Amino acid sequence: MKMKVLLLLGLFAISIAAVAFRASNGKGFSVPKGWKKPAYNFQQNPLSKQKIELGRALFYDPILSRDGMVSCASCHSQYSAFTHGDHALSHGIHDSIGTRNAPALMNLAWQRVFMRDGAINHLDMQALAPISNPAEMGESITHVVAKMQATTLYPRLFAAAFGDSAITGERTLKAIAQFMLILVSSNAKYDSVTRKQAVFSEQERKGYVLFKKHCSTCHTEPLFTNNQFMNNGLPVDSTIQDLGRFGVTQNPDDSLKFAVPTLRNIEFSYPYMHDGRFKRLPDVLNHYTAIGLQNRTKSHTLAKELQTPIALSSNDKVDLTAFLLTLTDRGFLFNPTFSFPRNIVFETAKD
Amino acid sequence: MTRIKTGFLLACSLAFHVTCSAAFGQTFAQAHSVNAKDIRLSIIPTFGANTVVIGDSAFQANDAHHTHIDVLKFYISRIQFVQNGVVVLEEARSFHLIDAAVQATFHLAIPNKGGARFDAVRFHLGIDSLTSVSGAMGGDLDPTKGMYWTWQSGYINVKCEGKSERSPARNKEFQYHLGGYKPPLSALQTLTFPASGNEAMTIQFDVETFLSKIDMATHHRFMSPSVDAVRLSGVAAESFRVVNSGGVK
Repeated sequence: MKMKVLLLLGLFAISIAAVAFRASNGKGFSVPKGWKKPAYNFQQNPLSKQKIELGRALFYDPILSRDGMVSCASCHSQYSAFTHGDHALSHGIHDSIGTRNAPALMNLAWQRVFMRDGAINHLDMQALAPISNPAEMGESITHVVAKMQATTLYPRLFAAAFGDSAITGERTLKAIAQFMLILVSSNAKYDSVTRKQAVFSEQERKGYVLFKKHCSTCHTEPLFTNNQFMNNGLPVDSTIQDLGRFGVTQNPDDSLKFAVPTLRNIEFSYPYMHDGRFKRLPDVLNHYTAIGLQNRTKSHTLAKELQTPIALSSNDKVDLTAFLLTLTDRGFLFNPTFSFPRNIVFETAKD
Repeated sequence: MTRIKTGFLLACSLAFHVTCSAAFGQTFAQAHSVNAKDIRLSIIPTFGANTVVIGDSAFQANDAHHTHIDVLKFYISRIQFVQNGVVVLEEARSFHLIDAAVQATFHLAIPNKGGARFDAVRFHLGIDSLTSVSGAMGGDLDPTKGMYWTWQSGYINVKCEGKSERSPARNKEFQYHLGGYKPPLSALQTLTFPASGNEAMTIQFDVETFLSKIDMATHHRFMSPSVDAVRLSGVAAESFRVVNSGGVK
């Protein structure tokens, strides 16, 4: 009997430890209070400080591109919530311009599929898409690995991260994924209010009521996205002809559907929409109050919530904007552990 | 409560083992030397009577269509040995990239410590859907092997590129990248052949048969999952043949 109790206690301790490990996942990542369990399987890629640092170096290093000019950070800069501030469409090597707006990067551990159309099925594999796209980095992971093997920096960083200096595609992708995983934004004013450490102004409070009434079905708290694909009534840009999710599934019911983006840090993640067609927040709100009113063709896949235009007065729009600005997380935008890894890249510099 | 907790722990440890086995998809031949109890299985890419070996230049078939093979790679996975329809042995970490440019990849050695007796061998041509959605993998599954689609996730099960007089494309090229893991466009194939394993077994993938069943005038390029890619994957599966099932049982 005593043995049984001891065994039980032991099991209990181990499961508590397992849960605690999952919650903090070692270095740099923790599940904010009240958030659901991440979709990412950390057991397949356990976080470590060294792997995150390697991933951070890779994220900022243009060695990933064919001509050595473009890094992940070129189109995902921290000060614009890891999107390409002020650029409607992403840029690539040789002055190429892509067909989509670079998405803001945050809270990716809770996301199951990636890209505007969900073409990528796992965070580990996401980086392969921009690395290989001729209008982005125009490289191959095979050649990136070969280039890194010829450096003095990377064999050292891989050895620190993985125990030996072998550089492989798997290790490269997992390290980049680790850096992306720690990009958690959960300390906006909205979060402080949720945790009862702050209060909304009257305007923000009114905006929050409007948000919950009109927006939160798709931009679901606390991630401010339901991680689904929706058609939000944007007419097709005839110069791009992007049909979104349909391109992946070939299912007509997915035509013109795009991933619902998070609204966190929306103040800094302009321009908006999958093709960056709206430069300012008022343009976005005006779109939602005008769907169907401006002679726009209604697609059969238009989200049912948008079948009739959202009714918002001018004052409502101001209030709603005030609420959206409470989603700005300065601790995220200016977190030094997410920024260019000066200490790693310039470690050998003597001056 | 206890049962739930134990279940949770078991599930954790199971998940860990599955993870480990999936993450290190190294071939046995790469990891260990062949020992006497191993089952020896060779998967040889052929063009008719000749082995397809791609060296510094393309393999040339000397057939009526002046066929050249520049790239020929395919995945053999989940190798199982079957006795009376029941699986008696399954290879661990069973992911093998057979590459006509690397002859060492033709020859597999599967440990059979228990000396299992069997009458058939069964394997996948391609990579299963669970592995396809489980993130970055190493060994033969490493994306540097050039067998992973970058613009839309998923492994290329079979890659065959070359030239033929039958192709209307530029430079008479053909490119067949067959894959797709999501139903209804799942291209994965399961093949079963009689086998005894008393001696080395040899199975051939005959590219001549494969190409002869493709109407190149209309299909000279496949680069994404599609109904045609699924059909062609079936054609690829039918182009395998056993030439030595391992001797008398």
